[in-house]
Amino acid sequence: MTVPAHHPAPELLLDYAAGSLRAVQSLLVAAHLAYCPECRAQVAELEACGGVLLADLPPEPVSDSLFGTLMTRLDATVATPTPVPAPAGKSLFPGPLRRAIGAEPEALEWVRVVPGVHLSAWGVSAGTASACLLRMAPGSRVPAHRHTDSEMLLVMKGGFSDEFGAYRVGDVASYDTGTPHHAVADADGECLCLLVQDQPLVFTGPLGWLLNRGFRF
Amino acid sequence: MLPKADSNDPTMPDHEQLLLAVARNRDSTAFRALFDHFAPRIKAYMRRLGADGSAAEELVQDVMMAVWLRADRFDPTLASASTWIYTIARNRRIDRVRQERRPELQPDDLAPDGGEEPPPDHQFEAAETASRLRAVIGNLPPEQADVLRLAYYEDKVHTEISAERGIPLGTVKTRLRLALGRLRRAFGEGA
Repeated sequence: MTVPAHHPAPELLLDYAAGSLRAVQSLLVAAHLAYCPECRAQVAELEACGGVLLADLPPEPVSDSLFGTLMTRLDATVATPTPVPAPAGKSLFPGPLRRAIGAEPEALEWVRVVPGVHLSAWGVSAGTASACLLRMAPGSRVPAHRHTDSEMLLVMKGGFSDEFGAYRVGDVASYDTGTPHHAVADADGECLCLLVQDQPLVFTGPLGWLLNRGFRF
Repeated sequence: MLPKADSNDPTMPDHEQLLLAVARNRDSTAFRALFDHFAPRIKAYMRRLGADGSAAEELVQDVMMAVWLRADRFDPTLASASTWIYTIARNRRIDRVRQERRPELQPDDLAPDGGEEPPPDHQFEAAETASRLRAVIGNLPPEQADVLRLAYYEDKVHTEISAERGIPLGTVKTRLRLALGRLRRAFGEGA
């Protein structure tokens, strides 16, 4: 497996390590980490930074009874060894996403957007952000659309290209608000991505009103 | 700045050893020592992030329970005791306060396609790294230290920091990236 070439923005890794990143975006970052030793190392460093910041906080005294209460609770808790997770078996999805979805791609329902391009019926949303899966047949094109907010794609199978670069398994493509782009799936196989947006997409072409129905979450 | 040897402070208890004693022997004296050190800091962390006194102490209990129950997962070659406890505190707060489940990478998540092993993760001498990091954080220009503290202590993503401080998003990103560059060099020195 090759190491990813396109990573989430450094600020996003910081937000993830600091715990301020919200769940939907955290899902994409955690899934990328499964592919990327470089970003795992960076997150470990940023967590070490969190450890130093925690250690250096001016301590606030806790109630005298807190330790006793805690020990009583612990006595009532049956000490079980850390459960060893069952071997996951082969999955197309990286672990964090597999746990979030609970099914493999072939078991999911898909909604056709244009020929060759599908979105999963599975999705999660929180606040203004939402995530779902995007599946592109070999060589297919996602219609031009503009963004009312930011968008990120994590490639999990195959690859695609647009005017900004070529993206392979493990890569994250990030688009700021208002950046038009034209993704084309690689010709040699299907492309499967995790799509995270901060607002619904708005299609701009003549069939935009129709396509927007497919992109409604 | 040259890294200081951690032997400079012989009175500093070795929290890593205490955690290992909890993991191996369910050592309640070691656990008490960890509690005495970390509980007031975890409480301070939760209070900064908006919990009131009693909610903060609830979270302290949650975190210290997890420390006791999961001590066998602590690996001193991967993280210092305070880093490990920080990640538990961060995750417990997200679970409890935001009612969200934090998506986390688990050890068996690597190489999801069953392909060859990725290169080994960055490993570091945790205590030495912590003292270098502390020096770097202490010497950050105020505006860089400010954005870092907002991210860790105030639950603000970088776009919110921009709005709250009334500084352009590009400036926030620049400050964060400069701070991250300095932090990275603190790790580079140990490699």
